Amino acid sequence: MTVYRYFIKITTRYKWIILGYAAIFFLLSVISSINTKTKETAFMEESLNIGIVDDSKGSLSDGLIDYLGKNNTIVEMENDIDYIKDQIFLEVVDAVIIIPQDFQSRVENKEESVEIFRDDRKMESLQIENQVNKFLVFSNATRRDGKFDLARVKDVLKEKVNVDVLKTGPTSKNSGTDAWFGIYFNFIGYIVITIYILVIGLIMAEFNDKNIRDRMRISSKKFLKSNAEIYLGQITLGMLITTIFILGGIILKGKHIGEVDLSRYLINAYVFSFAILCFTFLINNLTTSRFAISGVSTVVSLGTAFVSGVFVPQELLGEKVLAMAKFFPMYYYVRINNMKAVSAMDMSYGLRMQLLFGAIFLLTGLGFSRAKQKI
Amino acid sequence: MVIKAENIVKKYKELNALDHFNMEVKEGEILGLLGPNGCGKTTAINCILSLLKFDEGDIQIFGQKMTPTSYNIKKQIGLVPQEVAVFENLTVEENIDYFCGLYIEDKNIRREYVKEVIDFVGLTEYKKFYPKKLSGGLKRRLNIACGISHKPKLIFLDEPTVAVDAQSRNFILEGIKRLNKEGSTIIYTTHYLEEAEMLCDRIIIMDRGKSLVTGTVEELKSITSTREKIIAGFENPEEDISDKIKSIPHVLDVGKAHGEYIINFENGTNNLSNLLDFIKDNDLTYTKLYSQLPSLNDVFLELTGKELRE
Repeated sequence: MTVYRYFIKITTRYKWIILGYAAIFFLLSVISSINTKTKETAFMEESLNIGIVDDSKGSLSDGLIDYLGKNNTIVEMENDIDYIKDQIFLEVVDAVIIIPQDFQSRVENKEESVEIFRDDRKMESLQIENQVNKFLVFSNATRRDGKFDLARVKDVLKEKVNVDVLKTGPTSKNSGTDAWFGIYFNFIGYIVITIYILVIGLIMAEFNDKNIRDRMRISSKKFLKSNAEIYLGQITLGMLITTIFILGGIILKGKHIGEVDLSRYLINAYVFSFAILCFTFLINNLTTSRFAISGVSTVVSLGTAFVSGVFVPQELLGEKVLAMAKFFPMYYYVRINNMKAVSAMDMSYGLRMQLLFGAIFLLTGLGFSRAKQKI
Repeated sequence: MVIKAENIVKKYKELNALDHFNMEVKEGEILGLLGPNGCGKTTAINCILSLLKFDEGDIQIFGQKMTPTSYNIKKQIGLVPQEVAVFENLTVEENIDYFCGLYIEDKNIRREYVKEVIDFVGLTEYKKFYPKKLSGGLKRRLNIACGISHKPKLIFLDEPTVAVDAQSRNFILEGIKRLNKEGSTIIYTTHYLEEAEMLCDRIIIMDRGKSLVTGTVEELKSITSTREKIIAGFENPEEDISDKIKSIPHVLDVGKAHGEYIINFENGTNNLSNLLDFIKDNDLTYTKLYSQLPSLNDVFLELTGKELRE
């Protein structure tokens, strides 16, 4: 096992890369762990700064402003689109509502009655549209003989619905801890791609050096055996890296481990690691340039993390972006991590897709490897 | 016969890298493959070692056909490639142990072999160094150690002294002689004439993928028409006297370089004496006068019409 032993030995020379990434990762995880409000498991209204341009000055628009003002801070604004956009960009306000002169008739005719500019960077700004729509739906419902009964609308909007959860089933582990684990494991995906390609790539750049390769080929050790030891080294290193990051998560949230379906995350992470190991194999058969390996590591990890929903939830990504993301296993990995209710059937599609990608990467890599040997 | 390569043809599209190349290596000798850069020396070695597929011909090592899976033959072979082929992230000792481990599985034997070879190449005090900390010459020594640590019977050294300082070069050449004395058969490729003359028992001169001629240094020199070369410089006259010199008996041709006459003589005796008579008869005063035996460069020049170092 000389080749395997020295593969692992060379790995230790790159320990600072692994430890560096791990330190930053765990530091950010600890910070996010402290900031996570674990009891916040449902949609909650936030108080926002809303700019209002009221060109209507009617009773209906007053009613709307009055309603919005109960939970938000209202700021009156001029009807200047550039100024409005600047205020949103500078985060002076979270959204601006322009109420046109013909607001009332638009509501009556069920046309689009207000123009809303909101800060897309803030998820909570989405609730403004809900609040406006709620007010307009109720207003229309109280309209009799061309008049709105704003007093009734006010009363109705005061009503709150109380929901009591009587029983939680096995699929409702959607707690704050589960959300934290989902995000944590998504980020493991990003870090796995980065470190696998970079560290294994740099080690393989040495083993794949033509002259060293020739020395190994001329030796009395069977070439297949040498290669098998190298791949065993890669698997050992890969699994070790993945396990370190998984253990990190378990240590950080050890108290809440019973609240999550850990087996789902574990199976998913190891299957994903296998797929990325195969992808690394492909890259190593394409290039031995250290600069190229470093570049591929950064571009692929960041690129796939962005389009697959590691940094931004998949729900907020465009259809085209998600369609593109489906061509890399990261998408399926993130999907499983973010699933709310999970059965073996739910997971199997995502896992099979990751394994399929792994197989494709492996076969393509073998193809390139054989092509190189024929020269 | 340790190696017998017959009519090896290796083509890269239209280029004939090896053109019916032949080579025979006897046990215990140092065989030099001499030729200019790009003449096919490394290609020949790679074909012999089955690192490259060739188009025609047959290669036998230790009496057996050599193939990529001839592991019993490979066990007895050591390769020192032209480029330094070591791991930058392993120390000197680890590098040697790694390459030795590709042949020797027993740890204790390996430890002993590694120690021996480190002493042999003079890297004892550098054994914990990483290659990037070594000078060019020391790296070359490490490269050699990695190729010979398993004590092979047959060693291929592909231009091991390229870009090496004089001290390291002498160390390497002395080491090769010692390896040979200890029983190893050595194939040594070089484009340095002096090294080939000093080291090799027999030499194959190569050009354009062909083995032009084979023999000992003396045998090779004997095939040239030139038997003696005399270099002479004169104070006077200023005009060219090449035609006059040609009247001296046995003169083959006369060349002129840097104001000196290079006079090639064919077989004959008293060539220097005849030249001295010519100088006296023509009232010439010489500033320089010395005789040289033909070199391997002359052999190469005569065979190919070009200098070995062109």
